[in-house]
Amino acid sequence: MLEDILLITDKHRKAATVIVDEILKNKTVKYIVAISGESGSGKSELTHVVAKEMRKHGIFAKPIHIDNFYNTLPLERTQWRVDNGIEKVVGLSEYKWDEINKVIDDFKNSRKSSMPCVDLVTEQIDTLTTDFNGIDMLIIDGLYAINTDNVDLRIFIELTYHETKKAQKDRGKEPQNEYRMRVLEQEHIAALSIKNKAHLFVDMDYKVVKA
Amino acid sequence: MQNDVFHIKENHIQAAEMVFDKIFERTRKKKYIISIAGEVSSGKTTLAYLLGRMMKMNDVKSKILDLVDFYKVPPLERRTYREQHGLDTIGVNEYDWDMIEATLKSFRNGNSVKLPLVDLHTDEVDTINTNFKNVQVLIISGLYASYCSDVDYKIFMELTYRETYEAQKYTGKEVMDSFRKKILEKEHKAVQKQKNDADIYIDFNTFLDSYHL
Repeated sequence: MLEDILLITDKHRKAATVIVDEILKNKTVKYIVAISGESGSGKSELTHVVAKEMRKHGIFAKPIHIDNFYNTLPLERTQWRVDNGIEKVVGLSEYKWDEINKVIDDFKNSRKSSMPCVDLVTEQIDTLTTDFNGIDMLIIDGLYAINTDNVDLRIFIELTYHETKKAQKDRGKEPQNEYRMRVLEQEHIAALSIKNKAHLFVDMDYKVVKA
Repeated sequence: MQNDVFHIKENHIQAAEMVFDKIFERTRKKKYIISIAGEVSSGKTTLAYLLGRMMKMNDVKSKILDLVDFYKVPPLERRTYREQHGLDTIGVNEYDWDMIEATLKSFRNGNSVKLPLVDLHTDEVDTINTNFKNVQVLIISGLYASYCSDVDYKIFMELTYRETYEAQKYTGKEVMDSFRKKILEKEHKAVQKQKNDADIYIDFNTFLDSYHL
């Protein structure tokens, strides 16, 4: 994701310290971490801090943001959801899971990999090509990231959109309106349906607890 | 650049609004290139980002490029390369100007391009394929961004390298030692040469006085 805004605070740093310890205890070759949570729950912030911390331990971690893998273009998504019925289409099937799995396979096999990359300023989808040779760890960040297969450590942030309304507003990411609220509610339901896959939870107070 | 972090402050927003008011009408008439040159950590990336957002809110698409992506020697090898080849190599020639100029030309022509894109987490140079067809404004930030030919509006951001030293410690991008300090001094001299060439000069020390040179 290009030109995204992050609001990193101490709570992210504290949670990241615990998560990094957990990773270091269990880390195997070509390790994959996934971080799920609702819009505004701090996934990207946590991902950023964890990746940065790993580097201090000599581990090269590459973040992959699931929102780059939507089936629909950013500018067309709202209309598409409205046309097809928000309650019917918002959820796990909005993402190109085949492409996500291909990237994971490329990572596991240390190959070069190309993937979609949304630029939030141009609102276009660029194509990013990266070489996974020499990359030790993948951090998948996204609403339904822990739904991905072959993940070694699954983390779920429990803050729901009700608690994170303020974070949304601060990021100025999307307008708060009735449509948005219906999407958030639908995403909330879908996120809950995969919550039981998590190994670690980041609770309402941003404390890290084991499942 | 991927996974960069910057801190938006009130003075960045004011600077972006000032620049936006001056140039917005012009950007609607033709494909428009803005360069943001200036000292390390002077707020170039932040200004580029804010300008891009303001353009977007007014339905003008802009692509943001950072010259950091166009270094000839990749990040992980740069420090060793600089140490081996000495301070004489530091400066404008460290960048791949052929590729930068080719990129500007592609933008003018509305073509697709393949560009380098550094990831600050991995320090790898990834590549990005993008299409300039519907992009109306190109915002290029970087120490020596004014050296690009064919720029429509040149911004210069002021900061002395002593302040830069403090700022860099804060962002923690690079290890600070005597060699790094020498590099910063050298870069500072080369950066300052662009000042007379700017359309607008932004100095947060005098808090948003702008000077037309």
